[in-house]
Amino acid sequence: MNKYLKLLNFELNRFFKIYLVLIVLTVVLQMTAVIVECRQYLKQANEMIYGMNASKEQFLADYGQMSFVHIVTNGWFMWSIAICAVTLIIYVFFIWYRDWFARNTFAYRLLTLPTDRINVYLAKATAIFLMVLGLISLQLILFPVEQGIFRAMIPDDFRQDLSTADIITFSKYLTVLFPGTLIEFVARYGAGLMVVLVLFTAILFERCYRFRGIFFGAGYCALAAGIFLSPILIEMFTEKVYLYPIERFFAEVALGLFVSGMSIFISRFLLNYKIRV
Amino acid sequence: MIEVKNIKKKFGRKQVLKGVSFTAKKGEITCLIGVNGVGKTTILKAIMGLTPYYGGEILINGKRINKAAYEKITFIPDAFIMPSSMKISEAMAFMKDFYAGWNEERARELLEFFRLKEEDRIANLSKGNVAKVNLLLGLALDADFVLMDEPFSGIDIFTREQIAEVFTSHLIEDRGVIITTHEINDIEHLIDKAVLLDEGIVVKEFAVEEIREREGKSVVDVMREVYRP
Amino acid sequence: MTVNFNNREPVYVQIIRYFKEQIAKGVFEPGQEIPSRRELAHWLKVNPNTVQRAYKEMENQGLIFTEGNLPSRVTRDEKILRSVREELIMEAVHAFVSTVRSINVPVEEAVALVREFYGKTGEKEGDRNDRSEKY
Repeated sequence: MNKYLKLLNFELNRFFKIYLVLIVLTVVLQMTAVIVECRQYLKQANEMIYGMNASKEQFLADYGQMSFVHIVTNGWFMWSIAICAVTLIIYVFFIWYRDWFARNTFAYRLLTLPTDRINVYLAKATAIFLMVLGLISLQLILFPVEQGIFRAMIPDDFRQDLSTADIITFSKYLTVLFPGTLIEFVARYGAGLMVVLVLFTAILFERCYRFRGIFFGAGYCALAAGIFLSPILIEMFTEKVYLYPIERFFAEVALGLFVSGMSIFISRFLLNYKIRV
Repeated sequence: MIEVKNIKKKFGRKQVLKGVSFTAKKGEITCLIGVNGVGKTTILKAIMGLTPYYGGEILINGKRINKAAYEKITFIPDAFIMPSSMKISEAMAFMKDFYAGWNEERARELLEFFRLKEEDRIANLSKGNVAKVNLLLGLALDADFVLMDEPFSGIDIFTREQIAEVFTSHLIEDRGVIITTHEINDIEHLIDKAVLLDEGIVVKEFAVEEIREREGKSVVDVMREVYRP
Repeated sequence: MTVNFNNREPVYVQIIRYFKEQIAKGVFEPGQEIPSRRELAHWLKVNPNTVQRAYKEMENQGLIFTEGNLPSRVTRDEKILRSVREELIMEAVHAFVSTVRSINVPVEEAVALVREFYGKTGEKEGDRNDRSEKY
């Protein structure tokens, strides 16, 4: 446990610089989104009201009030989220491959530490998970700050104030990252962690069996997906509904735990007996 | 004692190890000799559990490698193995953090002996200094066995002399050392035992003083007999 | 202290010979402390186990002795010290004689030459010996 925490701390520290860049990038891009979007709206309003002598009511009738949903659907804003998502997805692979292919093969050291090797795997998985949660929290902190700027820039009459929850619901794509209920949140991020564990196991297949391992890894991913999605797949193919939604939910939770456990078990075996440095 | 018993290994279709057996005792320096590509590094990796093998088994003090054994056996590879962004001091701190057997006093002594600067970043070190840091990190552990992969290859003569000095010092004393080389000259008088490898097997395993005494042969003489067709 | 070792002869035997030479030359005096096995291994750049073996052998031969935990010392036994000198002389003579005999040189000629050359080289050698004795 102690060594696991040390490894986790180490993995987080290793990614810290890139992570800091990500955070700064997110803040900058989202602030840009707020300012660009507000300015554009104000420019339109100014052009209509002062340039074309339209009344305030006329402008609002044509363009409507501005809400924060305008901002979260702005390109800069969506880029910030896409960049973070893509970086973390790449890092799922990079977190392993850097130990083999960086200038120095750190895998030698990592796999000869006086601790169970599975701790390396678990620490890496936890690190990814915490980094995702970190960015999610950052977003939740950023929302009120950005809304403050938004309120400061747009006069009351032109502004439609929405709660963060409403913004997320109206933006549609943000509901993927921020589900409405706690249970959904846990289930979704739990499933995310499971995907990371499955991908890690696939990576280990590749690291153990190299070229052949790519196929084993892909096969393993397919198998994991098949198991996890089996309730849905069965219903799809037989075109019958066997389960109530709540039952399906619990079946998915059970299968998710099973797939995660299987991934850890197989990875433990691969790390202990089959790994190649 | 490290007992390597009949281990086999294939790379693709190529059978690299065809049943390698030898032993290495604590307090002795055992040298694996063979041309490049004969599988010396693979054997060290197999001992460390860093590559799978089949056929036989490898025992360290009678047991297969396990997590506890990593306190007792340490590997000093040819390449540097700590992240290059680290400073020497950070690499030392990492070792101290993870190994109960890290001996800070000895680490300091080695730092001084090799004239290394703690605050130097690993990425900026010369090949010779990388080899020294490798030795430092390995030898500062209170491990019974030290495996060194080609510690003398590709470095300047003065670094070689310095490293050779380590072998005659208290830093090695009482430990079991397995060292690989394709060039015996530097260490002919430093080793206790030679294990000659060829074509995936051990062709000869002998105590060097004994072969000098009994047969009046040098290590190179024996190598000549074994390797010359 | 550097010694060129012959790769075909046990290193421990060569270490013992080196010691005998130092004793015969008087560099190592009777009762003098000798280096620890690690120090010697370090100086000679040989395996400490080999030095250990040489020391053990010398101890058995009575060349050196160890009291308790103290460092080993060169023996004070006159008889052994004399025999070391004799042994070295005999070895040298033996080697010389067998070489000279193999090229059919009569003993008188050989002795005459030895006498002649001993004087010439001895002057230079003598200088060096004087110096080394000071150490």
